[in-house]
Amino acid sequence: MILILLILFATLFSRAFYLQSMQKEFLQSKGGDISNRNEKLHAFRGKILDRNNELLAASSPVETVWANPSDVIMNKSQKNRLALLLKMRKDHLDERLDKKDTNHVYLRRQIAPELAGKIMALKIPGIYSEKNYRRYYPGKEAMAHVVGFTNVDGDGIEGIELQSNKFLSGEHGFRKVLKNRKGNVVDDLQDIQIPVDGKDVILSVDKRLQYASYKALEKAVEKHAALSGSAVLIDAKTGEVLAMSNYPSFNPNTSRSSQRSEYIKNRVVTDIFEPGSTLKPLTVSAALKNNSVTPDTLIDTAKGFYRVGKRLTVRDTHANGIITVKEIVQKSSNIGTTHIVEGLQAKYLWSMLNDFGLGAKTGIEYPGEVTGKVHHYKEWGEIERATISYGYGISSTLIQLAQAYTVFANEGVIKPITLFKEEGIIIGKRVVDKKTSNEMLAILESVVTEGTAPYAQVNGYRVAGKTGTAKKPNPNGGGYGKNYIGSFVGMAPVSNPRFILAVMIDEPTIDGYYGGVVAAPVFSTIMSEALKLYSIPQDGIEFDAPKEQKMVYLNKYDE
Amino acid sequence: MRLNLILFLVLIIFALATVNSEHQYRKKYSKLDVENKNTLELRDETTKLQLEESDKSGNERIEQIAKKKLNMRNPTNEEKVLLSK
Repeated sequence: MILILLILFATLFSRAFYLQSMQKEFLQSKGGDISNRNEKLHAFRGKILDRNNELLAASSPVETVWANPSDVIMNKSQKNRLALLLKMRKDHLDERLDKKDTNHVYLRRQIAPELAGKIMALKIPGIYSEKNYRRYYPGKEAMAHVVGFTNVDGDGIEGIELQSNKFLSGEHGFRKVLKNRKGNVVDDLQDIQIPVDGKDVILSVDKRLQYASYKALEKAVEKHAALSGSAVLIDAKTGEVLAMSNYPSFNPNTSRSSQRSEYIKNRVVTDIFEPGSTLKPLTVSAALKNNSVTPDTLIDTAKGFYRVGKRLTVRDTHANGIITVKEIVQKSSNIGTTHIVEGLQAKYLWSMLNDFGLGAKTGIEYPGEVTGKVHHYKEWGEIERATISYGYGISSTLIQLAQAYTVFANEGVIKPITLFKEEGIIIGKRVVDKKTSNEMLAILESVVTEGTAPYAQVNGYRVAGKTGTAKKPNPNGGGYGKNYIGSFVGMAPVSNPRFILAVMIDEPTIDGYYGGVVAAPVFSTIMSEALKLYSIPQDGIEFDAPKEQKMVYLNKYDE
Repeated sequence: MRLNLILFLVLIIFALATVNSEHQYRKKYSKLDVENKNTLELRDETTKLQLEESDKSGNERIEQIAKKKLNMRNPTNEEKVLLSK
């Protein structure tokens, strides 16, 4: 009896000894695995805000549901319920859970925490949920091209999200902790690596104007059955972009496939086109600057066609006869500008176009910005010089055009373009003298009052601008096809220009195609909204002295 | 002998005190951790509410409600009165 007891004790002690000494390390590491945990500390991605601190992008928690297929055990009703909650077909679900060679398959990524809660409430072993963050864009389609979006891992891949990715994304932290049996953290095992949150980005864009411009473009593109439309509104004094939109657009909140759509390109900065007549104020002001013409110089535009060299015949839509330089811009005479630049040296004209910002970046620092092309003057013949005078054989983006017009809004000084909110005075570069700039501004105003752009008028304000109707090059090469780009670039109020707005409508097919018909009304809509929202004093009406005293109630409750 | 006994008692007391303080520390640390996690959740909640606010105060929604529910419209030029220049 005693012997048996002794043997039993001996077994017990030897086992204890074995575990305590021989297996010590293995068991401690096993125990450590349960109580010592590595934890990632999340760093928040910064928000993107508009100039009035309206939210444009923010990260919100979502759950990712995943499974370890070999651990999953569920009955039929559980499976039905799971498939229903996942919005997945049952055979698809089976297919995923049959992958026994892996221990990690995603069931649904980025779902609402409430839905994930319901799935976890089924208590199916082997199904887990993990919290991560997803970007939401309250600006939807109207804002999509400016803000851009992130990929599924939360890194910016388009727009400002990409441009400011480093600034927005913080640095994740890390800590090693001791947990108790209930899973609560009771102690740190080493120094915590504190997470650094990303910083917020404040853009120069105004959400209200962005929405207004998107809506106006939508209307025009649908009305004229056009391919697309783009518009950019900038603050004339600071070069800040207040709105930059394209239609059609995409919704960055919905499925990933919409983010791969053909509409993700921000055409305002990534598409070049031949500007056509909207370039004329630039070439004409080059001539005004070196005094080779004045606004009143008479030029013979003859019968509406004019031969340059052997291959080019310059045409006007109407025979204009002998007209002034001012009328050449008003009526947008190609022959007129051809005659005007005949008095200019190629090198001078080329350097002026460069000074207007053509062929150079605008300073916007938007990913994928292109600059268009101004061929070197040594490659110009008389034909090139002639076509450039009315905007062909030269290319630019819409934002470059808008930037070029800052010259006329700032008495001859060009401003750099930015997408971020600016404080203080923005120093620009002088391109033309004050006199030339003001002469051109007066000519541009007459384009709206007497010329090709009556539809650009804004009630109560003086508006200046220039239309453009450019033929698109044949996509199959060689010459120009039957498709057009209608554009308008202008500014208001003329007495002290505050906003510059450039609009282009690509391939309008019905109800006209002239810039003055398709783009000018869009200009008028967006510009009047901007002038109204920023309470710019009206400079376009002469006020009569009030005939009678009248009481005005601002609020009906005042009565 | 007596001194040793006293020291032994003191030792026991301090040992228990150490255990107690470690226990208190862990309890409080655990509480702190829970609160920290709460902070993060509240932050998430804030963002969520901000997003909701932004969505609810969106121009599109305001326009729709003003036009459809409240039958509002833009004033015509005749209805506008200029107060000062």
